[in-house]
Amino acid sequence: MAGPVAAQPKTVSLWHPFTLETDMIHGGIKTFNESQNDYRIDARIVPAPQMVTELIKAIASGSVPDLVTLDNPVVASFSAQGTLTDLTERVAKSTTVKPDVYFKGPWASGLWKQRIFAVPRDANTLALCYNADMFKAKGLDPDKPPKTWTELLDAAKALKDPAKNVYGFGFSAVQAEEGVFQFLPFLHQAGGAVDKLDAPEAAEALAFWADMVKDGIASRDVINQRQYEVTNTFMAGNAAMALCGPWELPRLQNEAKFEWRLALLPVKAGKDIAASALGGYNWVVPKGAKSADGAFRFIEFMSDPKILNEGWKTGRLAPRTDVTVADPLWPQAYAIYRKQLESARARGPHPQWPDISRAIQMAMQEAITGAKPPAAALADAARKIKPILAKTPL
Amino acid sequence: MSLTLRRLGALPLGGWPVTVIAALGVGIYLFPIYWMLISGLKDSAEIFANPPTFVPRAPSLAAFEYVFVRENVLRYLRNSLVIAIPVMVLTLVLGSMGAYAMSRLRNRVVDVAIVVVLLLQVFPEALLATPMFIIFRTLDLLNTFTAVILATTSKTLAFALVILRPMFRQVPVELEEASFVDGCTRLQTFRLVVLPLMRVPLIVVGTLCFVQAYGQFVYGLTLLSQQELQPATVGIYSFVGAEYADWHRVMAFSSIFVLPILAIFLAMQRRIVSGLTAGALK
Amino acid sequence: MPGSQPALLYVFLALPVLYLVGFVGFPIAYNLMMSVQEVNLGNITEFARPFVGLDNYRTVLADESFRKVLVNTLLFVGFNVVAQIGIGLAVALFFAQGFPGAGFLRGLLLCSWMLPALVVGALWKWIFATEYGVANYVLQGLQLTGSPIHWLSDPAVALTSVTLANIWFGMPFSMILIAAALTAIPKEQYEAASLDGAGAGARFWYITLPALRPALLAVASLVTIYTMRAFDLIFAMTQGGPLDASNVLPLLSYQFSFNQFDFGTGSAMGSFAFLIVFAVALIYVRTLKHEEVAG
Repeated sequence: MAGPVAAQPKTVSLWHPFTLETDMIHGGIKTFNESQNDYRIDARIVPAPQMVTELIKAIASGSVPDLVTLDNPVVASFSAQGTLTDLTERVAKSTTVKPDVYFKGPWASGLWKQRIFAVPRDANTLALCYNADMFKAKGLDPDKPPKTWTELLDAAKALKDPAKNVYGFGFSAVQAEEGVFQFLPFLHQAGGAVDKLDAPEAAEALAFWADMVKDGIASRDVINQRQYEVTNTFMAGNAAMALCGPWELPRLQNEAKFEWRLALLPVKAGKDIAASALGGYNWVVPKGAKSADGAFRFIEFMSDPKILNEGWKTGRLAPRTDVTVADPLWPQAYAIYRKQLESARARGPHPQWPDISRAIQMAMQEAITGAKPPAAALADAARKIKPILAKTPL
Repeated sequence: MSLTLRRLGALPLGGWPVTVIAALGVGIYLFPIYWMLISGLKDSAEIFANPPTFVPRAPSLAAFEYVFVRENVLRYLRNSLVIAIPVMVLTLVLGSMGAYAMSRLRNRVVDVAIVVVLLLQVFPEALLATPMFIIFRTLDLLNTFTAVILATTSKTLAFALVILRPMFRQVPVELEEASFVDGCTRLQTFRLVVLPLMRVPLIVVGTLCFVQAYGQFVYGLTLLSQQELQPATVGIYSFVGAEYADWHRVMAFSSIFVLPILAIFLAMQRRIVSGLTAGALK
Repeated sequence: MPGSQPALLYVFLALPVLYLVGFVGFPIAYNLMMSVQEVNLGNITEFARPFVGLDNYRTVLADESFRKVLVNTLLFVGFNVVAQIGIGLAVALFFAQGFPGAGFLRGLLLCSWMLPALVVGALWKWIFATEYGVANYVLQGLQLTGSPIHWLSDPAVALTSVTLANIWFGMPFSMILIAAALTAIPKEQYEAASLDGAGAGARFWYITLPALRPALLAVASLVTIYTMRAFDLIFAMTQGGPLDASNVLPLLSYQFSFNQFDFGTGSAMGSFAFLIVFAVALIYVRTLKHEEVAG
């Protein structure tokens, strides 16, 4: 056979967990594949709880995909161990992925030792969801949601109704990363920090949670409820207020049979520190990827504000400051989450974040079950974290 | 009164009244399954409603429809069957040979073999999946049903060996000796005398192996990266996200998932019962 | 055994054993190797990793959660074996009475075992939820308990709850195996005993039970193994919490490997599970000797 052969597009294998057909990734893949002939995205949906496990298997066996979306707190574990492709040079040349247009928190989650190993795909954070109908029924003004911890507590007390199995407030303190994700805003609002868990501020934050459970304002089941279950209790009318991420908005819209609204997370009076936790997915290119260039092309494509605009349809906030969704779905929620994102802090980034997180999970559960007083539980956690931070500070 | 009743020395009960009691008991036991079915018909707010609703307020087939239309359920179920049936056959072939040998040989070799077989079962698949991946990549079998079939059989085979061994022991040695006297070789005796007697246990074990293979998840996920090849369990698990879980869809999918094997099992059950009345093991 | 060709028997024995060693031997060796190495995400690709001797095992033994979880595991497995066999035997005997529809109903019971473990876990998590769960709703409705039971959020109760769920999940499987073994008991034995005037209890005690012994032991060792490695169910119900109260070794080992990325320690924990099953396997093989004497 002689003569030139039309170049076959190179396959870029992508792993992602997004099953909702409305997620921006599906439209993005389609448009990308149609728009050029160099690369073809070959996507595989990996169930989210298996994503990290599957990626480790792939790394261990030496056959990695070209591109993966990874939950942001675990990225540092992978980048610090040299399992990801360093994207610094590519980012430097890129006209779309420009570090300074990204929110600080999301961008930081992809950095390790000043090198760029991940580009944020989307961002999310927590806000306060409340049942406006219940507010009205209990004589509270739904236009004035709680702004401080004290107001939150007062409102929760007024809203709880044991006869109807209604709790005032719902949150997740499950023995898993998401429990920590929900606790960190309170820790930071109290003036505490992950590297100072034995300080009184941290104990105050945890006591705030533990007391709510002890006083029956929040259910004892919070220590076993994952975030979506907290939202479920809210949607079923068993919790008048709850911590809630924007990814829940499509479900809230379809399934909550009452007027729900959002508010910024209350702050601690006197400290007035606005804080929230940062969640979201990052694009990473595993080291050894056969088509790293194609993967980065797709990252750039997906980082285009036009595509990121679509993210909000499934409650994904853009990680970039230059993206404002015009005429968004759920405008009230959009405004709140967008504002809250400004105070969202990245978890870590730290290569041993999972160990740190596990220590905090234990402390939360000890305090909430009453096994230990909050201060003692946190002092234990601080003791476990200390050698980890001595090796690599936060 | 039936023979079975007398031989088990049971209470002098029988007939339809017992059936009613048994049906009630089974009904209560399977309540969680009913819960699963109706959860697929509820919306997610109602799933968590308090007090719980025993009959869906506004039953909707939306979740079932979603699973069927969007998730290509039939393809998933076909993949699961294409994996589970060969696993069952392979397990029965290797398992009946091994269990027969274990039941007839009595020495250290068998003891060691049994310990080895049991020990090889201990690690959860999740921890074995990485090295399994390496094996099948070396064999160049990744993304083939063969890989999943071979890997899953390593799980069901030990089960078959352990369960079939005592059952093979029930076959009287005298029958075999008679067969040898008639001039049959051991292989012929195994095929023509022993195996037919073991029909019922083989059906039971085969069915259970089939169900295990059908419900296998980890190897189906790890060894098959192409969605077109993945079994239904992978489809079910993909609804369980990091941030949300579409439980009514998981439940709808699970209901659909269980129905075919339930049908197969009940059909098998009838064979077992008829095998019994025919005195298969007598 | 006159006239037999034992060589064929050894071939028959070798085929499945070699199959298993071939496909599972390497993965297990791989895990044992990791348990004496320092393994992290950075070097997991290579085989030659720093050898650390028994350091990982020392780390495991010093870990508070490990000791707690080891005890949990023994309790979880022990209760499952006893309950699945006890209840399974009773149910199998009940269905063996040959009333109309017995076979069909017995088959229906197996539904519970056919579900994916994750789904079973999710189902029981709902049933056991303190406020909206059916378990408390029914128990309170029947006035069996005054205040709601915190099935999954009370560290003192959580292990019981996951054990109950796993018994529900696994019992029909044990039951079906026992039922199959029941069919293999020669009817003549019962007829002869009846003629000798043996009562129901005597027939059960002197005929059924001894005849079932090998099968029950086989089921016991299988239930041990299946319960040892079952963690999808617990993962879905409690993620091992609260405070590891419902955690078991395989899940903890998995969490160390794939959540904490501490593969060496995770593998060392897997080895402890290995030891437990080794003990069970030895007990099982020993009882086979009795079987030889008795048979």
